[in-house]
Amino acid sequence: MYRISVDTGGTFTDVVVTDGQGRLTVGKALTTPERSFTGLSDSIANAAEQIGIPLGQLLAETRVMVYGTTRATNAIVERKTAKTALLVTEGFPDVLVFRKGGKLNALEINAPVEPPYIPRALTFEIPERMNAEGGVETALDEAAARAVLEKLGRIGIEAVAVSLLWSIANSAHERRLGQLIEEILPGVPYTLSSALNPTIREYPRSSSAAIDASLKPLMQTHLRDLKADLAAAGFGGELLISASSGGVMHIDDVVQKPVYMAKSGPAMAPLAGIAYTRAEEFGNDVIIVDTGGTTFDVSLIRDGAIKYTRETWLGTPMASTMLGMATVDIRSVGAGGGSIAWVDDGGMLRVGPHSAGSVPGPACYGKGGLRPTVTDAAVVLGYIDPDRFLGGRMKLDRAAAETAMQGVAVQLGKTIWETASAILRISSETMIKAIEDITTNDGVSPSDSTIVAGGGAAGLNVLSIARAMKAKNVVIPKTAGAISAAGGQFSDIAIDFSASCYGASDAFDSAAVREALGGLAAQSAEFEAALRAKGVDTFRRQLFVEARYARQQWELEVELPVDWAQEAADVELLETLFAQQYQRLYHVNRKGTVVEAINWRLRVAAILPSPQVSWEGPSETVPGERENRAYFDGAGHIATRVLDGTTLPLGCEIAGPAIIEEPTTTIVVDPGMTGRLSHSGNYIFEFGGNHG
Amino acid sequence: MADGSPMTGFDPVELAIMGNRLDAIVREMTSTVILTANSSVIGMARDFSCSILSADHDIIGVAEALPVHAFGSNLQGQAMAEFHPGFREGDAFLNNDPYNGNTHAADHTILVPVFFEGAHLFTSVVKCHQADCGNSVPTTYFAAATDVYNEGALVFPMVQIQSDYTDNEDIVRMCRARIRVPDQWYGDLQSALAAARTGERALIRFAEKYGAERVKAFVTAWLDYSERRAAAAIGRMPAATLERHGRLDALGEFLPEGVEIFVRITIDPENRKAVVDLRDNIDCVDAGVNLCQATATGMAITGIANCLEHDLPLNSGTFRRIEVLLRENCVVGIPKFPHSASTATTLLADVICNTAQSAISEIGDGFGLSESNMFLGVSTGVISGHDERGGGDYVNQLFLMGGGGPASPEADGLDTFTVIAGAGLCYRDSIEITEQRLPMLVKSMKLVPGTAGAGRQRGGVATRTEFGPRGSEMVVMQVTNGVATGPRGVQGGHDAFPGANIKVHADGTEEVLPGYLHTVLKPGETIVGIDSGGGGYGDPAVRDPARVLADVAEGYETAGRAREIYRVAILTDAEGFATGVDAAETARLRGA
Repeated sequence: MYRISVDTGGTFTDVVVTDGQGRLTVGKALTTPERSFTGLSDSIANAAEQIGIPLGQLLAETRVMVYGTTRATNAIVERKTAKTALLVTEGFPDVLVFRKGGKLNALEINAPVEPPYIPRALTFEIPERMNAEGGVETALDEAAARAVLEKLGRIGIEAVAVSLLWSIANSAHERRLGQLIEEILPGVPYTLSSALNPTIREYPRSSSAAIDASLKPLMQTHLRDLKADLAAAGFGGELLISASSGGVMHIDDVVQKPVYMAKSGPAMAPLAGIAYTRAEEFGNDVIIVDTGGTTFDVSLIRDGAIKYTRETWLGTPMASTMLGMATVDIRSVGAGGGSIAWVDDGGMLRVGPHSAGSVPGPACYGKGGLRPTVTDAAVVLGYIDPDRFLGGRMKLDRAAAETAMQGVAVQLGKTIWETASAILRISSETMIKAIEDITTNDGVSPSDSTIVAGGGAAGLNVLSIARAMKAKNVVIPKTAGAISAAGGQFSDIAIDFSASCYGASDAFDSAAVREALGGLAAQSAEFEAALRAKGVDTFRRQLFVEARYARQQWELEVELPVDWAQEAADVELLETLFAQQYQRLYHVNRKGTVVEAINWRLRVAAILPSPQVSWEGPSETVPGERENRAYFDGAGHIATRVLDGTTLPLGCEIAGPAIIEEPTTTIVVDPGMTGRLSHSGNYIFEFGGNHG
Repeated sequence: MADGSPMTGFDPVELAIMGNRLDAIVREMTSTVILTANSSVIGMARDFSCSILSADHDIIGVAEALPVHAFGSNLQGQAMAEFHPGFREGDAFLNNDPYNGNTHAADHTILVPVFFEGAHLFTSVVKCHQADCGNSVPTTYFAAATDVYNEGALVFPMVQIQSDYTDNEDIVRMCRARIRVPDQWYGDLQSALAAARTGERALIRFAEKYGAERVKAFVTAWLDYSERRAAAAIGRMPAATLERHGRLDALGEFLPEGVEIFVRITIDPENRKAVVDLRDNIDCVDAGVNLCQATATGMAITGIANCLEHDLPLNSGTFRRIEVLLRENCVVGIPKFPHSASTATTLLADVICNTAQSAISEIGDGFGLSESNMFLGVSTGVISGHDERGGGDYVNQLFLMGGGGPASPEADGLDTFTVIAGAGLCYRDSIEITEQRLPMLVKSMKLVPGTAGAGRQRGGVATRTEFGPRGSEMVVMQVTNGVATGPRGVQGGHDAFPGANIKVHADGTEEVLPGYLHTVLKPGETIVGIDSGGGGYGDPAVRDPARVLADVAEGYETAGRAREIYRVAILTDAEGFATGVDAAETARLRGA
């Protein structure tokens, strides 16, 4: 039996298939936005062909399929979702305009800000008000509410989000509005913020409810069609959807809460990272990097646990739309093959933020791009063979890359090779900063961590980045070009239940917290029971609390032992765990200061069997190799082995300077670096970390 | 060096990489402060800044700092060396003295000299606005202070707060004895020290990687590079001498006339230099509104820098190209002891910056900015009282503001800009977190249609916030500019309305309060703060009708103003939604 995982990206649909022995196959095809199933089945067919069986047979013999897609993310970013109305407490119509305030750059006085996710014209104030303790300050004006809902019917609203102040303390008004929607707008999907995401702070909660409601019509159709298409093609197994929480969900659950489909694909990448790292016995601290054409994504696993955040923005932080849910923390910076190099007024070399994109694209694409990009630099240096780019599917123009490079080189007073090498270094520096942003802020040292690299452009500079950061080691899997899809092979079914209940450690109301946590446990039990009926029998629960020291403005999330919830009385333990986390992050011991707990999260994972990864190695015995000249910083033009990755035997040692060409990525090995191809099919390079 | 030709002496690639490192270090310090701060003025309003000084006390990096804090740590570094010539590793100094390079007494600045191989290589600086600084009244902006004695702040003129990485408990005790809510202050001290030490560790790693000699060469090259950037940007402007007045509205009995401000700017593209002359202004006043050297210089520089490039590195190199002329004993200059500079980071600081950036627009269309909101009403006021829910006494500053930002030649202003000294960096409070913490009910917080200064590019929209106490009395204190004078438009753009503080009595009657206010709210009473929109840029009658339509459809503008001011006729449907532009009528309106 097979397991298939899918990542439908903007350009390519990646598929990873494992068989009963854990052998991996990667399929790739162009994404077809007009009819997404075509790209999906092309990609699976591509994998089936490599396995040597027909598509129908592969689908028929597949027990589990994990589906990730950028469809929801794109719909949100492009505002191509349902016509959605937002109902808010009277007096607060601008919650999605104000957001959390703030912006990134002081000197950019008129920094672009996206319009609110739901237009103000479709935001309606409902006369009602709860207070912080859940008491009714103003009763719900049902007549006014009815009038609003009738108007929504007249203007053809397709979905409704309801987010009232303090619905987390008393959801009665939200629930009543839900009933009225069912009565007055039957069949129109709606989301109540208190049901979806009952956490304190009105902006993230309202934003998540708005996104969720707006996605309902679209995602319900999309998933229903997908299920039908797969069934028609012969798939009779279980279809699971990759969620932003880093787990997978059943279609029925995700149709109820489609907000989980935002960031659906990329959230799987860290699962591949930890699986590959464990397979190599490299410990539990992992940095996962994923380099595409325009962005560089970083996520983090510390001590075996994925790093989560409630601050995921679908665009520029503070100026776009916040997802508002606890999601896998993925930091993106604009850095990729298309980033343009230029010299500023001060004579300094810059790379980005402008990108050549795919049209006109880098100069070497020969489509009219005249400015040098990171990809051009790799061509000039001899790292990318113009005849073999994307497996030879696209011929590149080396002369055009060199001409473009010349312009910048003259300004710098350097050769084109020195310039190209410098462009890669500066691009690497941007990536190093993104890695540090997530690691040092979380108290993780790269020298104790393994870097797992994915994405088509990852191999160009990940080894030099790892060396500069003194990382312990680097793993570049054979599936690097499809790392998010690969992660789907190792995912568990997971869901988060949240509650907001205030508790200060010097006056802790155990009864109230116990009741809140009891509610979460009941929801979890219901969720588990439904899965037991489907034959899943292994579950893992994790309890998290978002807390801060008294008077602080922002919270930290700390994991508590799951049985802590039973009594919810061991305040000493809560203080100790919080103090440890605080000291780890900020090097300050504040044990003894009052801790305020505000949000609680119970994560339930249903453990699915995951494959023991293996890689067979090539059938031929003679490794494909040729010699080329490539330029390396400090060494100049030197003879460089170019290895055909698909022909390298397992256990093979690789010494730089070398270039390894894999079907989906190219790995540049600088002089002095040594590595090997492991028996699991991963390229391993060790840099010793702090001990090297 | 500033001739624009390729750089000599330092590799431009290495320069980019090391510059990036430095920026990352300041950002790491900054995020430490945000995440560990106690008081909302630091953690929410981001009223703090981190910077790195060279061994020569030049500012080499101030990423993400509030503009009003961007300048002055250099002066403080000089003061550290002067007062503590034997400073060494493990030391930390506390300075909050506006007479020694600091901004105002509420800004407690921590300076940590960073040593590498036994020599002083950098100073790591963290400045945080404290929620209280021991003034004679419970406010950190004591505008009525007749002098520093009346102001009453506990002043630390570069005092040693740590040696061998250990606190001087005498200082901690002094502060605990005089600063209101001492635990809050102590938490924020720890936060600032943690950030400064984070900077120290990162700077030592930086030096280990590159070596002291290369680091020193880099610092020189980095400042020269920044100077070239500023020079090039100024060199692209036409030569001009610009003069403009600004105004601080009357405040209470201590400033019955307000203060008229005069700014003269010379743009000298030939020498690629800008000069801001603030000397032709009145002497220091017997009130807390005097600026100090750091804020007068910093806000004049900011007024120019806002009109240059978005990614200009802010440091002493850049500042070499923007000369600020101050005189002693001037209300916007170098104060004469014992004049108070209690509000030196607001009020006149905003006036200087707004006046400078709007003066630049007089060069012609395409240059400069309009004026920003300058009203910080009760929605950013300090409230105090007793929490009847069992929370004891409270004192807290609110951040429930919007504040319209200025319009530029190309773009509309932002809606959550606060004031120019904050440049939109401040976060706003969550309504729910505010009500969880404090015994108050926020009645509403929303944008007010038709309040943006109209223009081809309009200002940001004003925000109205109303709140009141729940079970017991609440004291509200605030001081603000902009109750009589609104933000001005430029190049034919319209002015925005002034702001207003309004007390709503239990019977519904409204009482307009002055800019300087101290009032008590009983349960049942509320108070309203309406800030200003930003000024407009360019003639509103040439604004793209599609954008006017979008503004009306989304409720930022009214159909009436669209017709009268923008000269665009909007079509609406039966439900009241704006659906389109009446092209013929618009042509008629605009043709007239």
